[in-house]
Amino acid sequence: YREHVGRVYALCLRLTADAGRAEELTQDAFVRAWQRLASFRGESAFGTWLYRLTVNVVFLSRRAERRRVQRVFTSDDPAALEQRGDRAAGLDRGLTLDLEQAIAALPAGAREVFVLHDVEGYRHAEIAELTGIAVGTSKAQLFRARRLLREALNR
Amino acid sequence: MICPEMEVRLNEYVDDTLAARERAAVEAHLAGCAACRAAVPELRRLIAGARALPRSVEPRRDLWEEIAARIVGRQRTFWRGALAAAAMLTLVVGLYRLLPPSTALYHPAVQGWAAVQADYEQATQELSGPLAAQRCRLRPGTVALVARNLGVIDGAIRESRAALLRDPANAEIESLFAAASRQKVELLRWATRVAAS
Repeated sequence: YREHVGRVYALCLRLTADAGRAEELTQDAFVRAWQRLASFRGESAFGTWLYRLTVNVVFLSRRAERRRVQRVFTSDDPAALEQRGDRAAGLDRGLTLDLEQAIAALPAGAREVFVLHDVEGYRHAEIAELTGIAVGTSKAQLFRARRLLREALNR
Repeated sequence: MICPEMEVRLNEYVDDTLAARERAAVEAHLAGCAACRAAVPELRRLIAGARALPRSVEPRRDLWEEIAARIVGRQRTFWRGALAAAAMLTLVVGLYRLLPPSTALYHPAVQGWAAVQADYEQATQELSGPLAAQRCRLRPGTVALVARNLGVIDGAIRESRAALLRDPANAEIESLFAAASRQKVELLRWATRVAAS
């Protein structure tokens, strides 16, 4: 736990931009890992298995939440972006760098793909498999995220 | 600002995923477009910055206690379920023993615990032979389950037998011994039937 909690939490925090939710999901990920330990076959490093499982936990939870509240962020409106950025910056004490804050302020879909691709190094095909979106959508969300981040950082 | 029609190509250019011909086309565009040319190092800085972000961020509080509590809670739930199943099994066995004997079940033709013991042992031996011969026709999971249950029943038989040696006149222990022996014969009959089917 001690060896991996920081990495798992960082992943949850960047994917959700919500420190409280990231703590819950970190706990969920470790409990799920405990339950699924028998399915870890040693084909990859334990960390790789655990982080992939964490991404699954985050997306399963988000799908469940979506079904519950039927609320999807799709806004490209800079004012909305700024508003969410203020909220995210206020919530996440762990995110101190400009880039971290700008990532946290991205719309959910763009943020998730940016974190998985540019921060974590997943390929578009893997992201599509993990998140249930098409490869083309993954690319579109990534390029959109980069555009919004460049705008936010140049402001 | 990047030329809108170049956004996809420029991103693929910095990701190095373009074919040689497309790459050359982008470079030709960059040669004549200052805005797109300026965007390339910006994109590269952004991607490098993302890769350089700390891989690990410590949570604001220790999460382990809650994780451990949830794991222990799940284990307790499992054991509660297992105990409930065991209680149900005890109830079913108890009811089974209260019901009138069925002709479908095995009953010894003799009386007295020594005779009963001999009779069940003979029945057990008669069934164990064919079952061992046809064991390979059973699924591994079934073989394991039968072996596990036989182990439990044999344990009960051993305990009953030892108790009867200490207290030979105890009719309740005789009944327990007979019940355990009957269960063993029934289990062997079932397994033999399944293996032969």
